[in-house]
Amino acid sequence: MYSDALTLLPVIFTLSFTLGLAIYVFGGRLSVKGGGEKGAKSVPYACGENPPEETRINLERFFVFAVYFLIFDVFAFMIAVSSSAYWILPLFYALITLMAIATYLITGRNM
Amino acid sequence: MQSMLAFALQLLIFPGIIFLLFMAFFFEWIDRKVVARIQNRYGPLYTGMSGILQPLADFIKLLSKEDLMPESADKMIFTLTPLLSFSLVLTALFLFPMASSRAIISFEGDLVFLIFVLTLTILNSALAGYGSASPYSIIGGVRSALQMIGYEIPLAISLAGPAFSAESLSISGIVEWQASRGLWMILLQPLGFIVSTACLLAELEMIPFDIPEAETEIVAGWMTEFSGRKLALFRVSKDLKMLLASSLLASLYLGGAQPLGLAPPIIVFLAKSIFMLLLMSLLRALFARFRIDQMISGMWKYLIPLAILQVMLVCLGVGRIK
Repeated sequence: MYSDALTLLPVIFTLSFTLGLAIYVFGGRLSVKGGGEKGAKSVPYACGENPPEETRINLERFFVFAVYFLIFDVFAFMIAVSSSAYWILPLFYALITLMAIATYLITGRNM
Repeated sequence: MQSMLAFALQLLIFPGIIFLLFMAFFFEWIDRKVVARIQNRYGPLYTGMSGILQPLADFIKLLSKEDLMPESADKMIFTLTPLLSFSLVLTALFLFPMASSRAIISFEGDLVFLIFVLTLTILNSALAGYGSASPYSIIGGVRSALQMIGYEIPLAISLAGPAFSAESLSISGIVEWQASRGLWMILLQPLGFIVSTACLLAELEMIPFDIPEAETEIVAGWMTEFSGRKLALFRVSKDLKMLLASSLLASLYLGGAQPLGLAPPIIVFLAKSIFMLLLMSLLRALFARFRIDQMISGMWKYLIPLAILQVMLVCLGVGRIK
């Protein structure tokens, strides 16, 4: 059995990428070709209206979640690799993290 | 030489690429048919036996359509993202044990690799929305990245639960642990199962969490500008992701590919993952879409504490078998 992951993983990724590329090229052969005149086809889709000049997206209220995301990502991997640790350590760590959420739930305004 | 050939066949045909692609189309058919029947529609009907070939026919139809690219789009991102999303998901599917109790690729830590790939596909779709430079696409891409902030953490924590119990970070290792103990992880960690199902629904952008491609608000979200062969690749990669999510749940929580009586592992595995798919389709048909802020704060308010509670219960020894 070939189970050497470090060589097999790139091989399989290359294989899948080649297959995707083959589908892409084959689709290019198969597809209908548009005429020279593109017109409205090359403009972004906007339901028949003129597209707005700029798109504004308000991300401010999600900033706190983004910061929490960075912290909690570490927690998930710490838990995943701590199975051989003495049981009280991961428990204690989980308690601390739970308190971090509780703090936000109590003090957070826009939840 | 003989084993080389057998291995190449394994890679390309049986639990490999061709099998996975056909299963992906089959899973899309099941999903569409079940949702249609729940909503009192017929669903796919004409192509093949009760429409079973409809996803394949859709794929071929999309390949034969004209491939348009908006003038303002970033050419490289626009071309590369469909290919990447297809090949990433297809690679991740090789990590699951299907035909035997060991996967084609299995190493200590492939669960972490799987989470990494799932994150990459979402970043890829955010990039696709950004690269197509249309207002709808950009909003869809930003929403899909925002949604990831919500569900990525509970998913990772709840998937760490089985790894913690089985003391193995490999999917094959967790499946073998369940086979040797003779019980399923869902009995030991029901909370983790609920949390990861909800998060995988969000990962798949299925209905309660289909915010990034909300049809009624932003056309097709980050996929708006894609057409022809690029859209075909995105559609296939979404089907493959559906297969990936249901096999993830089936492997980690339902015992995965174990022989059961006379049935070979592949049949048992497919039965379990189709059952998981039916569960997800049912949820998709039952719910309505959340708003983005409801979704994110709900994830942080309810699902993350639940996932941490599950981990703490496992630490305390509830449902932990040596």
